[in-house]
This record gives sequence, structure tokens and C-alpha cells, in this order.
Amino acid sequence: MGLSDEQLKTGLKTGVISAVGPAIAVLAAMLALIAVVGGPVAWMRLSVIGSVAFELPAAELGVSQLGFGFGEDGITETAFATAVWTMTLGGIGWLVVAAFGTPHMEKARRKIVGGRETLLPIVTAGAMLGAFAYFVSGEVTAGAPETGSVAVGGLVMLSLLKIADENDVQWIREWALGTSMAVGLVVGMGVHMVAGGGW
Amino acid sequence: MSSPSGSGESVYESDFIPSINRWGRITSLLAVAFSFGPALVLLAVFEIIPPTGAIVGGFVSVVTTFGIIWFIEPISYYPVLGIPGTYMAFLSGNISNLRLPCAGAAQESADVEAGTPRRSIISTIAIAGSIFVNIAILTIGALALVPVFEALPEFVRNALESYLVPAIFGAIFAQFGRDYPKVAAVGFAIALVMTVLMDLGFFAFLPGIPIYAVIVVSVFGTIYAAKLMWQRDMIETSS
Repeated sequence: MGLSDEQLKTGLKTGVISAVGPAIAVLAAMLALIAVVGGPVAWMRLSVIGSVAFELPAAELGVSQLGFGFGEDGITETAFATAVWTMTLGGIGWLVVAAFGTPHMEKARRKIVGGRETLLPIVTAGAMLGAFAYFVSGEVTAGAPETGSVAVGGLVMLSLLKIADENDVQWIREWALGTSMAVGLVVGMGVHMVAGGGW
Repeated sequence: MSSPSGSGESVYESDFIPSINRWGRITSLLAVAFSFGPALVLLAVFEIIPPTGAIVGGFVSVVTTFGIIWFIEPISYYPVLGIPGTYMAFLSGNISNLRLPCAGAAQESADVEAGTPRRSIISTIAIAGSIFVNIAILTIGALALVPVFEALPEFVRNALESYLVPAIFGAIFAQFGRDYPKVAAVGFAIALVMTVLMDLGFFAFLPGIPIYAVIVVSVFGTIYAAKLMWQRDMIETSS
């Protein structure tokens, strides 16, 4: 169909090479998921189906059904199982939409966007920001160390993305989440040592 | 590969895509079934059964936070991923941070025109390559990370459990909020007020743990605010 072997090889090679950086970044963020749901579940959810941006919030929603938060004492096996069920049930949504919706994507896209080409990204941003505003608020109301961790995590992300954009460096973008996570963690621990937990 | 592009494209539409749609549906639904594995192991082997109310509550919370995203993501990404790539990407996960950049970079370097079957073939090959890389790195990494995590002293493990997650939430919120700072500010204000009201017991009249009320108001309030700002030209949409 007019694709040369050369183009196919280039396509595969670029796909493989471009995956290395993001996959290592996923691995770094997997540490957070290992800390809260353990190795096997974290590995399975991030190798197939999921992403850190969904699995971590879903696990949090699961344990909070029994009134727990991550890192709290006395968190039960039942809370862990609720997290696993919540991640599983939440993750099938994408699969079901892909299974039945993919053949109709072009039609659906035209219908939804229908001359309002710029509205779709706005709704997407609104939905993601609303959801993560909820998760961030839960952390901010939990105490000073969590607030420090949220704020510094966010600021490091903004600074790194700014540097990456100004100099057009892709690997900084790939490492932005891992770095923000590490610096935020250290700040959270620091605040805890100085001021103690809670507000 | 050397056949004229005309006949190749008609084979693509008449044979390849229908077969992909069939297999894509089968594999996606198999993945749905297999994804219950860990939950069923907990149930059958360890006999840990969460209360039905907690499972339903967890599901409702996750639907209200991510339900819209289930539909928006495939629709937004499929022009880049192509039809075969969409099935593969949603099966393998990590889409916006991994599959999409890989597909985009491969299309760029193989120099294929937008909106053609050639483009979606290149995306398919690139995603296939990225899946092998991702699974290999995560498998080796998980085997190495878990013992390290378990060997850490108690207080470090507690710190990881408590303070990694807020840092990630803050970073992801900042990442999405960067292009829409006004929407981010309004969303955060809504969610914070709702969370404080819940903590103070103002939603105690609602059944269960009323997280879902906070989530519904935060998500839909923020979408509504974003739409209002868009209608009033308060948002630059060039990005």
C-alpha cells in the first residue's frame, strides 16, 4: 500500500526508542502504587490497561469507601481489596468503549465536535481538572506535610515543563513527573519532621 | 508492499479494518474478563470480600470522576492512533504519556501523510514496539523495586505511602492546569470548599460516605465553569 520497508523499520524503531523514556518514568511512578497496593497489582495495572493518573486516584477512592486514607495506621485488607475492585471496575470503562465504540469513532467525533472544534479540549480539561482538584483538596485538608508535597510537586512540574518548552528538550518532559514526585516527597517528609503531621 | 497504493487502500478498507474490528472487540472484551483476576484471587484464595456497599461506592466514585474520560479519550486520540492503534492503546494503557507520543514520533520520522491508512499502519507498528518495551521495563523494574521497598526502614516506607501520592496529584494537576490556569483555579476553589464542607459534616444527611457528592460537584462544576469561560472568550484555545 505504498509503504516502503524503510518506512516500516523507521516506524518500529522510533516507537521502540520513544517508549524507553516514558516507560522508565512509569516505573518511577509505579513506586507510589507499590507503596499503596503492593507489587503484583501495581505491575499488572501499569503493564496493561491502566496509567498512574487513573490507578492511583482509583485506589484512593477505593480505600476511602471504608474511611481510610493512604499511609494511615490500621488500614485493612478489606480496604485494600476495595481499592483493587475499584481499579478493576473503573478500568473496564475504557475497554468497553474501545470494544464497541472504535468502529464508530469518526461519526461520533463529527457529531460531538460539530463546528465547535475548540470545545472538546475545554471539556476534557474541565473534567480532568475537576477530578484532580478533588484529589488535591483531599490532600490539602489532610495536613501541612501533604499540602507541602502537593504544592512543591505542582511547582516542580510547572518549572520543568517551562524549561522543556523554552529549550525544546523532550527528555525533561519525560522526567517531569518522576522528579516532581521525588522533590514533593522530600518536602513532605521535611515538613512532617519540622511541624508534625496534620494541621 | 510494492503494490500500487490504490488497490492496497481498498484492501485496507474492505478486508483489514473489518478483521481488526472483530479481533479488537474480542481482545478488548477478553481483557475485561481477565482484569478481574486479582480481585477474584483476593476473593477465592484469600477470602477477602469487601462489603457490597464499598464496591458500589467505589464504582460510583470512579464513574463520576473518570466516566466522561472513558468516552473523551478514545474520541480525542483516535485521529493519531488510527483504528488498530486505538484497540491496542486502550488495551495496553498509558496512552497520553506513552502510546500517543510513540505513535506521533513514529509517524513523524516515517514521514506519512495525515489521515491516510499508511499513517495508521505506522502507528500500529510503533504502538506494538512500545508495548514490548513498556512490559519489559516494568517487569524487570517491579522485580527490582519490590524487594527494595520492603527492605526500607519503617519510617521511610510510611513517608512513601503518605507523601508520594500528594506530590503526584499536585504534579498532574499542575500539568493539566498549565494550559488553563483560570479553569484550574476555579476547579480547585470548588473542590476545596466541598471537601471542607464534607469534613465539617455538612453532607451527613446523604447516605454512605458522601465523597460522591464532592466529586460530582467538583467535576461537573469545573466542566460547567470551563464551558462558561469558553463561551465568553476567557480561554485562549490556541494550545
